[in-house]
Amino acid sequence: MILLLPLIFALLGAVLVLGFRDRRAATRAALTIGAFEVASLGALVWQVHRQGPQQFGRYLRADGLSSFFLMNIAFIFALVLVYASGYLRHIPEGRFSSPRWFYALVFLFLFTMVSVCLSANLGLLWIMMEGTTLASALLVGFYNTEGAVEAGWKYLIVCTVGIAFALFGTIVLYLAAVQAGMNPAAALDWVALMDAVPGLGFDPHLVKLAFVFVIVGYGTKIGFVPMHSWLPDAHAEAPTPISALLSAVLLNCAMYAVMRYDAIVSRATGPAFPHTLLLIFGLLSMVVAGLLILVQRNLKRLLAYSSVEHMGIIAIGLGLGGPLGLFGALLHTFNHSVAKSLLFFSAGNVRHNFGTLRMDSIGGMSRTLPQTSAALVVGSLAIVGLPPFGLFISEFAILSEAFGQARFLVVGLFLVMLSVVFGGFAYHLLRLLGGEPAGVPSSPKLIPSEYAVMGIAALCLLVFGARIPHLFGVFLQEAIAVMR
Amino acid sequence: MGLVAIATAKFLGSFSVFLFLTVLLMVVARRISTSVLLFSLQSAIITAEVFAMGVREKLAAAYVVGALVLLIKVIAIPYAFFRLVDRLKSPRDVKASTTPTQSVFIAGAMIYLSYAAVHSFGQTVHVPEDALAAAVALILTGSFLMVSRKKALMQMLGLLVLENGIFLAALITTFGMPLVIEIGIFFDILVGLLLMGIFTFRIRDTFDHLDVSKLRRLRG
Repeated sequence: MILLLPLIFALLGAVLVLGFRDRRAATRAALTIGAFEVASLGALVWQVHRQGPQQFGRYLRADGLSSFFLMNIAFIFALVLVYASGYLRHIPEGRFSSPRWFYALVFLFLFTMVSVCLSANLGLLWIMMEGTTLASALLVGFYNTEGAVEAGWKYLIVCTVGIAFALFGTIVLYLAAVQAGMNPAAALDWVALMDAVPGLGFDPHLVKLAFVFVIVGYGTKIGFVPMHSWLPDAHAEAPTPISALLSAVLLNCAMYAVMRYDAIVSRATGPAFPHTLLLIFGLLSMVVAGLLILVQRNLKRLLAYSSVEHMGIIAIGLGLGGPLGLFGALLHTFNHSVAKSLLFFSAGNVRHNFGTLRMDSIGGMSRTLPQTSAALVVGSLAIVGLPPFGLFISEFAILSEAFGQARFLVVGLFLVMLSVVFGGFAYHLLRLLGGEPAGVPSSPKLIPSEYAVMGIAALCLLVFGARIPHLFGVFLQEAIAVMR
Repeated sequence: MGLVAIATAKFLGSFSVFLFLTVLLMVVARRISTSVLLFSLQSAIITAEVFAMGVREKLAAAYVVGALVLLIKVIAIPYAFFRLVDRLKSPRDVKASTTPTQSVFIAGAMIYLSYAAVHSFGQTVHVPEDALAAAVALILTGSFLMVSRKKALMQMLGLLVLENGIFLAALITTFGMPLVIEIGIFFDILVGLLLMGIFTFRIRDTFDHLDVSKLRRLRG
């Protein structure tokens, strides 16, 4: 029953906010329902922690891994909702670009992402993953400008095709399970699969084929190079709260799906095959995105490529496996989403103050926009992996694992790309902040809600850099236990 | 053996040929409406295939799925496409970037490639090689249509052909997925097409054309 609550609240939110035409009323309604949503997610995470995995009917289930990602969703969603309540005053009203449609679609988007983490069935997981694309496509095209329409169309087409390949992979795995003698009704249930895989001899060729299609399919949503083409466009053209949701929550959800398959396939064929694929995609994403960061001219595209790079880091952690690799990868999903939200929030302020995100037409921001600049600096220092911020810990864990396994190619590329990205961020940041002020900001002061969310995100990064809170550490260990 | 059983066995043995035909015709079609009709025909062949499977394997769920395919892919989607073509009032040719001759050769090569690809898997999965090759050929030509046709509507159609191929692969290897999941997938496709329809209007309104190859503002 507790599994149903977050789903019900999200759907309820999507329907209810449509009834409020006024911006303030819609915002108030969305914040109220959002509070219930976050509370119900918290209760669910707590329940899983206290009583172990929860099951509802045949199709819904939550264990340590799902609740770790749900916690991530709840935290970022709360930040984004509060930030959006202030941000929406900048969005010009159109027929469909009204606040109530914005909130309704955000709640639908949230519904699909929570469902992804709660699915007990790989078929349902696919349906909901496709649902995330559908729910967010209109949000990406929300501004209805040329760029937004192009980005929305590209997002819809590229991700739908990618996800179609994941469906094919799902079917191939189902075929392997049915052939090995599993009951067709249970052959898509990942718990049943995890239990059955060691005993029944799955055809290793089919399982490998399934994993290739799944990693290409869901990898499209994660933004692995070379399937990443939709990602920078969508992130740059979407309204800022949506960019934050895409980068900090959606990519993690797709990563969650790949992790489920990785666990099953590792049991069926041994970890070598899936982990090698993850390493290849991870390194490729890291290298290509890291180099592209250097040449970006638009602030949000820069942040989008940084997301691709960090998804690569997470994939490398998963591909290395081992206690530290898995620990680092999971911790990094959380750290990255907090740091990236902070950066997107700052970018949103830059955009509405200067009306542009082109970095060559903005300068001297440290003088004209000091508070936003401070947030941008903190976020950038965190995202390039410097201490004392959380991302340093997780990247260090992944790096130690690579050292421990004597994978010096991985270590070398990892370190080189980290330095390249550091250089890129430093270069762009110095040009944004220093120099002669260009342009006059329209509203340089932060409003209280923006202050609050950016402060919380920055504080969270600092705390995680100093020491992982005890309870969080326990959740993290519970998630790792599921993967072994 | 009853007459129905003979008919289903005959059909299950030969439907791949018809699918290959629709694929070859589709890549040379010059008008969007012709392509939509061919897609409808292709879906009808798959519907018959679902029903034949239902008869042979005595699966009640197959009739439900068959009815859904008939309703959605043979009737509803093509109808919606014709309405869309009418309402958009854009020129009706598909704007291919390959000549018909090239297209036929490419489609032929893809059919050959599908046979080569399924050859090693044919033994492991115990299904007729022709059927599996037809499914893979649909997936490949669907992708080919998406990259070689410049009209937004044709990209949607290519996606549908690709989806037909995946559906067919699931059908012949596992007699389809569990019914609930099948229905969920249909629902997703419908909503996805609805959204793409909305976007085609927005593309036309903001750019005054439907040629997605000219959407090149976002780069790098």
